Amino acid sequence: MPRPVALDGCEFDMTQVVLTDLTKKYLGATAPAVDRLNLECESGRLHALLGPSGCGKTTTMKMIAGLLKPNSGDIAFDGASVLHTPAERRGAVMVFQNYLLFPYMSVGENVGFGLKMRGVDKQTIRRRVAEMLELVRLPGIEARRPKQLSGGQQQRVALARALIVQPKVLLLDEPLSNLDAHLRDEMRELIRTIQQQMNITTIFVTHDQEEAVVLADRIALMFDGVLHQVDAPQRFYDGPVSARVARFFGGANFLPGQMHNGQFESRLGCFAVGQGAVLNGPALLTIRPEAIQLCAAESGSQQKNHLPGRIISRLYTGANTRVKVQVNEFTLTVIADPHAVDAARTGDMVTLYLAPERLWTLPIESP
Amino acid sequence: MERLRPYLMLSPALLIIMLFFLGGLGVGLMRSLNYMPIIGLTEPNLDAYVGILTDRTFLRSLGLTLYIAIASTAISMTLAVASGLLLRRSFRGKQVMTFLFQLNLPIPHIVGAIGILFLFTQGGFLARAAHAVHLIEQPADFPALVFDRYAIGIIAEYVWKEIPFIGVVVLAILQAVGDEYEALAQTLGANRWQRFRHVLLPLILPGVLSVSVIVLAFTLGAYEIPFMLGRSFPQALPVLAVRSYTDPDLNQRPQAMAMAIVITVFSTLLILAYMELSRRIVRKE
Repeated sequence: MPRPVALDGCEFDMTQVVLTDLTKKYLGATAPAVDRLNLECESGRLHALLGPSGCGKTTTMKMIAGLLKPNSGDIAFDGASVLHTPAERRGAVMVFQNYLLFPYMSVGENVGFGLKMRGVDKQTIRRRVAEMLELVRLPGIEARRPKQLSGGQQQRVALARALIVQPKVLLLDEPLSNLDAHLRDEMRELIRTIQQQMNITTIFVTHDQEEAVVLADRIALMFDGVLHQVDAPQRFYDGPVSARVARFFGGANFLPGQMHNGQFESRLGCFAVGQGAVLNGPALLTIRPEAIQLCAAESGSQQKNHLPGRIISRLYTGANTRVKVQVNEFTLTVIADPHAVDAARTGDMVTLYLAPERLWTLPIESP
Repeated sequence: MERLRPYLMLSPALLIIMLFFLGGLGVGLMRSLNYMPIIGLTEPNLDAYVGILTDRTFLRSLGLTLYIAIASTAISMTLAVASGLLLRRSFRGKQVMTFLFQLNLPIPHIVGAIGILFLFTQGGFLARAAHAVHLIEQPADFPALVFDRYAIGIIAEYVWKEIPFIGVVVLAILQAVGDEYEALAQTLGANRWQRFRHVLLPLILPGVLSVSVIVLAFTLGAYEIPFMLGRSFPQALPVLAVRSYTDPDLNQRPQAMAMAIVITVFSTLLILAYMELSRRIVRKE
């Protein structure tokens, strides 16, 4: 059962959202925008719907909000289907990417909009608006017009407008994408703080994996309308379910071969592998670029999990250096501390160490 | 030279506008003040204005003109907004419906007036059809929709012509506004009426009011439709003015010109009042 959380006299229900075989196909489209999606969003947690543009994440969010009707499947809040509950009574409030503050209203009127629609008296609205603006750290700006606010302030007002109605589910559509880097960090922290303070079930859509990792308790990764992996952020780095997932999270090294009794046999030799999605048979071996250790050429290149190679390029990116190393016909990417590879030059021979506990096997992708 | 460029480039258009506006209005004003040296009137006076403003015929014409302009603008605006909202939705046959909605845009008013005459007079197609199917005993029993006391024929013609005109603008505005504001309001708990009243209307109102003021100005000053479809008494002001101007008695000319000036002043004041009212409504929204 949902547990109410008290906050300044407001009570927020913690609502569990379950999507079952949710499918949406737009009229005239050849493929469904969302295809048999199954997802459970735990109550009071922050979930990210992650994926590239056009993967169906916003469509999914709009179906949860009640703005789009699915062709099939079900949406349940706390075990009860809301499929036939109209958006205005569903209790899932959406904050749009471009804020959408009503330009003809003051900030106070914008924030109080949802309460006004519910017929709440003016005095209560005034009090609650002040509380919400305080919550988003913009106290006393009720009389301002939206055009007098910066992008970050508009985003916070939009958030206050959504929170004031005490939604069951808060839906954020690309909440940080229109903000510059500095404001993005600030807003990220604010969303996280408010979400944790209120324990409000929150689902946000993003195409930015870094944003998802920093903000979310759990990430649901979608490609082409299909859910590929639902996991805690760390698992997308340590245990991706496919090469496509790994690539989306910055994976760059994939080596085809055979997995047999904890050993991976490939054209670059035999590797001891600690874990993986494939334990036997044809597989892809992967290791994250930052997990590869770059050593001097003479340091044990004949030992297990060591590979000799030649540096073919290096790119300094500020926080780290991206080095490409040619090992036979394969190119492996290594992300290293700039100081650690300071002396290494293009053309130098090096040894790469692939620690068994950092190796992971994946199924071979169909072409 | 560079600074003069915009003025030079604008001068041909401005010259024509000013020539007709100041020239025409100036000559009209002089004549309305009984200043017509060509027929020996060299002492300006306000006799023509006093004459028309104390004439019941003129006052009734003024009232009729106002009624026609306001009624046809209000009806056209309401129906155009409603149609625009319906045409914004996705439905089968939307393209055909949109085409039909805009079909009469290039058709002149005069053609519309002839169509109304053919259809709605008591000897017209509908009257004969109603008689043929024994709905009425005589075609003359058909309700008077043209040359009638309530100017139904005139208003119908203006509405027929102005709905697509305002509608095209409304559709463009709705397209620019998009549907995200309404979607957002819906998730915040606004029902269908609240979304229209508190979200859509304030967003489209400035544009709708701008285009409707053009319709208002046109219907206040148009001559041919009231002339073709209106009663002989009272007549719309532009018809009355033209009749006075073309009267063989040249002494009627100052009154005709005074009427034209009154129409101009009245239209200007009405439009200014309308724009001020619109601004207030938009600000309030």
